[in-house]
Amino acid sequence: MSLIEAFLAAAETYPQRTAIDHNGRSIRYAELAQAVWAVADLLGPSPGTVGVPVTYSPGTIATMLGIWAAGGAYCPVDPAFPAQRQQAMLTAAGCRTVFDPADVPWHATGSRAPHRPLAAVDAERPAYILFTSGSTGQPKPVVTPRRAIATTVGSLRDLFDIAADDRVLQFASLNWDTCFEEILPTLTAGACLVMNDEAHTGSFVRFLRLVERQAVTVLDLPTAFWHELVHYLVEDRFALPADLRLVIIGGEAASPARLSDWAALDTAHLRLLNTYGCTETTLITHAGDLCGPQAKNQPDTFTQVPIGWPLPHVLQHVSEQGELTIGGPCLALGYRGLPEATEQRFTTVGGVRFFRTGDRVEAAPDGMLTHCGRLDSEIKIRGIRVNPAEVEVHLAAHPSVAAVVVAGVTVADHVALAAFVVPRPHADPAALDAELRAFLDSRVPRHLVPSRISIVGELPHTATGKIDREFMRRHLS
Amino acid sequence: MSVEGVSAIFGRVLQVGDVGSESDFFTLGGDSLLATRVLSAVAREYGVELSFDDFADAPTPAALAERIASLR
Repeated sequence: MSLIEAFLAAAETYPQRTAIDHNGRSIRYAELAQAVWAVADLLGPSPGTVGVPVTYSPGTIATMLGIWAAGGAYCPVDPAFPAQRQQAMLTAAGCRTVFDPADVPWHATGSRAPHRPLAAVDAERPAYILFTSGSTGQPKPVVTPRRAIATTVGSLRDLFDIAADDRVLQFASLNWDTCFEEILPTLTAGACLVMNDEAHTGSFVRFLRLVERQAVTVLDLPTAFWHELVHYLVEDRFALPADLRLVIIGGEAASPARLSDWAALDTAHLRLLNTYGCTETTLITHAGDLCGPQAKNQPDTFTQVPIGWPLPHVLQHVSEQGELTIGGPCLALGYRGLPEATEQRFTTVGGVRFFRTGDRVEAAPDGMLTHCGRLDSEIKIRGIRVNPAEVEVHLAAHPSVAAVVVAGVTVADHVALAAFVVPRPHADPAALDAELRAFLDSRVPRHLVPSRISIVGELPHTATGKIDREFMRRHLS
Repeated sequence: MSVEGVSAIFGRVLQVGDVGSESDFFTLGGDSLLATRVLSAVAREYGVELSFDDFADAPTPAALAERIASLR
């Protein structure tokens, strides 16, 4: 069954249940299905790839589902990104149409009944196009087919055990694929998606009160945010919300210390599920319960927190170098318009297509995997993949920059992006920091702007010509 | 309202020494996640629940101290 069929089946079974609770206002399944059809009608059949200026609103969800109902592919574009970047994304994705979620015709009359037949769409057609950071300075469009997202969402509904009485917080930005983990298992199970502006104020007390008040049962949080949440729960002794049953984390390595802290709280009844995945292999491919009723290991025995086991739909292979490669129906079609980059990362072994993740892993005797770092220089900034070379390309384009190195450094226990810039002789070093920030702000999204820019006399190299990370660490402390 | 108190919170969160009253949290290496630690500390010490947007508008110890004073 395609995703959109699964959503419509849920809408037919539970027409009067709340699909989305938006700031306390209820949108029923029947209403959402009506809006989805209205969007599909406006787009017309097979609209191709549709660019969507995403806002945190039910309109964005109706737009996403409406594009799929019409047979098109969804391509979110963050309106906060620099205009130049947005244009580059729309071009690279091959968007023919842009649909603004503000234009969703809620309560449209004359729209056909929700149970009309869907146009048949090949499962190999694209469902969405999202971008990862590339070394050329241009965003790399990953094309995910309908088959991959439908299979993965089916697996995740089982893994999360989502039932119609669940209330799942929609926390992730609608610009990244993590939001699909929250939205799609929920709306294909007849459960309720909770969207609330109080989720993003940055105040943990307000966040926890919201989770409590809205009787949220499932949270899916970036690991970096969960680290801060645990920090807060320990220091302020705030009780965990009563209805919560599952906390999903992912995006970067979980800290063993925060895991011990979490286990020492009143969490024995609560599943803490660690997850791993890449955009190219669709949301989540590996997961393991770290704590709570389904955990297989004591949470305080880890020196490194494992990423778990492959999900049932995932094929995996670990190369001799320890690189995790992934095959199966979760694989993306490749990078649009970049056949060389596609060939480099998607390889065929014994007739089976695999994606090379670039992640090194180690397997325990029971098959549980632990992440042991990258084979390249890619890093994660607050859960978002960043290729430092992409930032270097942009900084090197500034007329006052002679040489530049960008790397991940640890600032106050978490990874931040740092740039080391050697200025040209005519440059004014005092003004350069602000100038480079403004320059980057006009070209790249916020997560690619380094937290720290250091103006240095020469780049720190070791005897073998590699970048001296020890020097950089000292330079920043 | 003490600007020194807010400077001390910045220093603790960013793990750096002397933070000047006009120093910008984000150019000192702070980001939105570290900002949540500042918000938690402000709530604990001054009983004021700021949002991330409040903080982004007043990211220096002097400006943030003024914002806190106006809300107490």
